[in-house]
Amino acid sequence: MPDLEDQLTALAGAIEWPTTPRLRVSLPARRGGLGWGRPLAYAAAAVVLIVAVLLAYTPTRDAIAAWVNLHVTINRVQQVPTPSPRPSAALGERLGLGTPTTLNQAQARLAWQVGVPSMLGGPDEVYLQQPPTGPSGGEVTLVYAQRTDIPVSGLTGVSVLVTEARGRVDEIFFQKTVGSEATVEQVTVGGHPAYWISGHPHDFAFVDANGNVYGESLRLATNTLIFDHNGTIVRIEGDMTRAQALQIANSI
Amino acid sequence: MEGRPADDSDLISRAQRGETAAYEEIVQRYQQVAFRTAYVITGTAADAEDAAQEGFVKAYRALDRFRPGAEWRPWLLRIVANEARNRARSSGRRHHLELRLIEGFRPGDAAQSPEAVAIASDERRRLIALLNAMVDEDRLVIASRYFLELSGEETAAALGIPEGTVKSRLSRALARLRAQVEEAPLA
Repeated sequence: MPDLEDQLTALAGAIEWPTTPRLRVSLPARRGGLGWGRPLAYAAAAVVLIVAVLLAYTPTRDAIAAWVNLHVTINRVQQVPTPSPRPSAALGERLGLGTPTTLNQAQARLAWQVGVPSMLGGPDEVYLQQPPTGPSGGEVTLVYAQRTDIPVSGLTGVSVLVTEARGRVDEIFFQKTVGSEATVEQVTVGGHPAYWISGHPHDFAFVDANGNVYGESLRLATNTLIFDHNGTIVRIEGDMTRAQALQIANSI
Repeated sequence: MEGRPADDSDLISRAQRGETAAYEEIVQRYQQVAFRTAYVITGTAADAEDAAQEGFVKAYRALDRFRPGAEWRPWLLRIVANEARNRARSSGRRHHLELRLIEGFRPGDAAQSPEAVAIASDERRRLIALLNAMVDEDRLVIASRYFLELSGEETAAALGIPEGTVKSRLSRALARLRAQVEEAPLA
């Protein structure tokens, strides 16, 4: 009898695959002149608005996938699934933020500059997530337990979370599932396109360096602003208004 | 040279310069492996088509940051596989890839490899049944390496795991399959 691996190799020709469809890829206009190794171009391209793609592209069957940018996936659904109850653990574990650390220690382990919003002052807690459970460039979360004018969120247990992540261009850092009651608006931070998700809690999941969703149960997130800051994807989450979120973002 | 198909790096360079026809040729060249890779992950042809389509668009948007001289296929498959995994998760369905044999497949078919001749029809069915009974993790790594004929790097990209994990996972999966085969020997 042939060796098992030979049998499997031989079996390849007998496997029935669905007929490969002729893919109709509507190509959006690309901006020219963005060569590899140009940090500013890289940073800007990381948050290229994908609306042009969406306009040129036929919406998919059961969900309209809207890409905030190359690193964030937003799925539109009619109803957001109910996440599993969160364990009553410490904040970092409960929200999947990674390992508790300090701002200086986190900065020492990252090759990029962590942005701190001056409007919020120093963070109360700092968490670091690196591969294999975080993106290849690492991810840091600044926790602001209580801040004036921003109530403590019933979903996170704190006033504001600022998460910053960096990695390869083909990595997805955050995955969001947005129901029909939430709105996704395009705004601008520092001249770059940004997105403001508000109106109703949305599902949120971290994605690691290999594209795996971190944790099986997604957690609900409250109002969130997502934008690019010099090549780093930043998300600011809290029960705040759009104006407050933009103020915080612009103070980084 | 006239009549000679352009190589990948030439097509990619041209696509990076804005030649959409060059990228369309890339799509033609890689749509089958992209679609089948997505199918292995999503388990449905419809989701696989969507994921492959979106993956090609996303890769196009990222072309400027594709390193000259890098391997195109694993880079593309990583993007397509990410799309496929997102789609599988957002659908809320528990996907299970059911491998099937071509109806009426005969070892003597001209298109088949010489090795195929060595495996009788009953043996193929038994092997497929054993594969379908394996846990997803084992079946997917075997399907990626042997049926999609992906390299270790490409399998790592498709499954979203490090290349070292591919090797260890494949080794364990083959050992388990071998044990199953020996327990219920093929004819």
